[in-house]
Amino acid sequence: MRPIQTLTALAVLSLSLASAQSTIKIGAITSLSGRFATFGAMQQAGFKVAIDELNAKGGVNGQKLELLLEDDASDTNKALNAAEKLVNAKVPVIIGAYSSGVTKPLSQYLARVKVPLLVATAIDETITKPGNPYTFRVNNQSSVYTRSLIDELKRIGGMKTAVVLTSNDAFGKSVLTDATKLLPAAGFTVLSKDTYDKGLTDFRPLLNRYKGQNPDVVIFASYEEDAVALAKQVKEVGLAPKIISGIATGFALPDFLKGAGSTAENFLVTMVWNADVKYPGAASLNTRLKAALGGEEPSQHAAQSYAAMLAATDAIKRGGTDPEKVRVALESTKLNTAFGPVTFRDYAGYQNQNSVVGLITQVQGGKFVTIGPASAATGKIVLPKR
Amino acid sequence: MDQVAVTAFFQTLVQGLLTGGLYALIGTGLSLIFGVMKIINFAHGDFLAIGMFITLALFKAFNLDPYLSLLVAAPIGFSLGYVIQRFVLARLGDRLGEGSLLATLGLGLIISNTLLLGFGAQPQSINVPYAINTFKFAGVQVSVSLLIAGLGTVLAISALNLVLYRTELGRAIRATAQNPLGAELQGVKTSNIQAIVFGVGVSFAAIAGVLLMPLLYTFPTVGENYVTKAFIVTVLGGLGNLPGAIAGGLVLGVIESLGAFYVSNNYRDAYGLIAFLLVLLLRPEGLFGKTVKRV
Repeated sequence: MRPIQTLTALAVLSLSLASAQSTIKIGAITSLSGRFATFGAMQQAGFKVAIDELNAKGGVNGQKLELLLEDDASDTNKALNAAEKLVNAKVPVIIGAYSSGVTKPLSQYLARVKVPLLVATAIDETITKPGNPYTFRVNNQSSVYTRSLIDELKRIGGMKTAVVLTSNDAFGKSVLTDATKLLPAAGFTVLSKDTYDKGLTDFRPLLNRYKGQNPDVVIFASYEEDAVALAKQVKEVGLAPKIISGIATGFALPDFLKGAGSTAENFLVTMVWNADVKYPGAASLNTRLKAALGGEEPSQHAAQSYAAMLAATDAIKRGGTDPEKVRVALESTKLNTAFGPVTFRDYAGYQNQNSVVGLITQVQGGKFVTIGPASAATGKIVLPKR
Repeated sequence: MDQVAVTAFFQTLVQGLLTGGLYALIGTGLSLIFGVMKIINFAHGDFLAIGMFITLALFKAFNLDPYLSLLVAAPIGFSLGYVIQRFVLARLGDRLGEGSLLATLGLGLIISNTLLLGFGAQPQSINVPYAINTFKFAGVQVSVSLLIAGLGTVLAISALNLVLYRTELGRAIRATAQNPLGAELQGVKTSNIQAIVFGVGVSFAAIAGVLLMPLLYTFPTVGENYVTKAFIVTVLGGLGNLPGAIAGGLVLGVIESLGAFYVSNNYRDAYGLIAFLLVLLLRPEGLFGKTVKRV
């Protein structure tokens, strides 16, 4: 029974420490620099909006909230150092990181030191499957994004062949595995499946090959810079499938619309949150996130981070500032936010996994318009003429 | 092969050649600097980044057409190179030594970090409507900006060739490359010539950056992606050999494109490196280099 005694002692200790402190510190790790910096900025805005909202209401349990935000520079080792620093600063919970490749080792480390990790954005399957008791995820797992896209394709109908191209990392491989499993089950033939390494800027040979194969559907999964390059080069080589789609991430960024311009038109993009989504408070959240971003359009990553911060503070409100109690409190989270409902459940092999409705948006007139599922749609799909 | 596959092959070939042209432009600058000064310029990729960021900044501030940025980026690149050679590299006083190697590595770090401070880490691109225009030639679809980049490469390299073989300055440059002491004795101010050559090399990198900008995105360490290509190109062609650098660039572009098209995209970087190793093994002087016996 020693662990429990130690934990109780720790709990008492940290509770007494907490009451002596004037603020509740919440740890967060994201990529403020490096290749994921754009997503890091989105996350930062989400955290800030949530903390401002809660502090304006008087904080949690009479104490104001303070964000301890660490930059992982898009690098796993730096993220682990940052986590160690936050653990030493006795934060009750850590939110982070942005990318799947960084988040996976982070979740393993934090499970070892028994501090709960709230994953806001990373979508690699293996983060919550099998997962561990200390890792909770607000975002959907990658298969939901892929599945909701393929369901939508089936609904549209009249398409038989597909090609899949993803980045060669945890996120991309996760999507590639899901897509090559789900596509045949939905009656599609996969003509090509490829991955590319970071730093590849010339996708033309691959796109030429796809052009020769003449697929009905093209599915991409990439980070932002590649998303822009892909959209431009698709136009350049004259690849013209019936549907061209991107799985969240880079394609779900306002920067994608800006960088790719007219070449982004008609892209189907899966995401879990969009400014036009029908959750109560979503429009107001969009306005506040935009203000926090200095006028830039927010992406789903900002809204996810906002929801993760609400979930973290809600757990602290119910469980106090001891990491173990926060972990237990997180298990019974039941929140309705402007991002959507947040509950962490164990199902189908996943552990502590939230499930959000996967949205299908289409770029129309330079904007993301939600076109599926029917219950959430605010617009209709436009199919390019062949 | 059916018609579609043949067209796809030719399209890949053409695009590989045009991409290879850009590699050649970057490699030419590197090769020229090595040929004259025996300095390996490790900051070459960062000078390319400077070209890209000049284009980006001018576009953001004045909505300036990216290709007009050439008028700014080329002279800035030249001046920067001239000053760096004159006041940094020339003072190190060693040839093929670690001094210039470390100095250019350090310069590269300074440049990329300055760009990071000034522009932030996130990738940025510019969006001019005509940059995505294409035209069809015998079924092969070609991007206008890629073609402009290819033509720009041809122009820049032809101009350099004219200067090298038709002018007094060119004669002085060639003399300095062959025998600096001898050239000095004939009244050539070799220190000035070397500064000019470094300036030209840097401005070639900057020009390549400008030509790339409408096609791609930029971020402070973007140069890393290209500096390896530039090394492969120069070694393929023979260090310091200009026609070799051009051929090396085209060969690399085509090998990469066809490899990714037919075999697998995953080994894309490997194709160039395999060619590189084969050339080192079979013809250490490069595809076009002359065998020189060292005294």
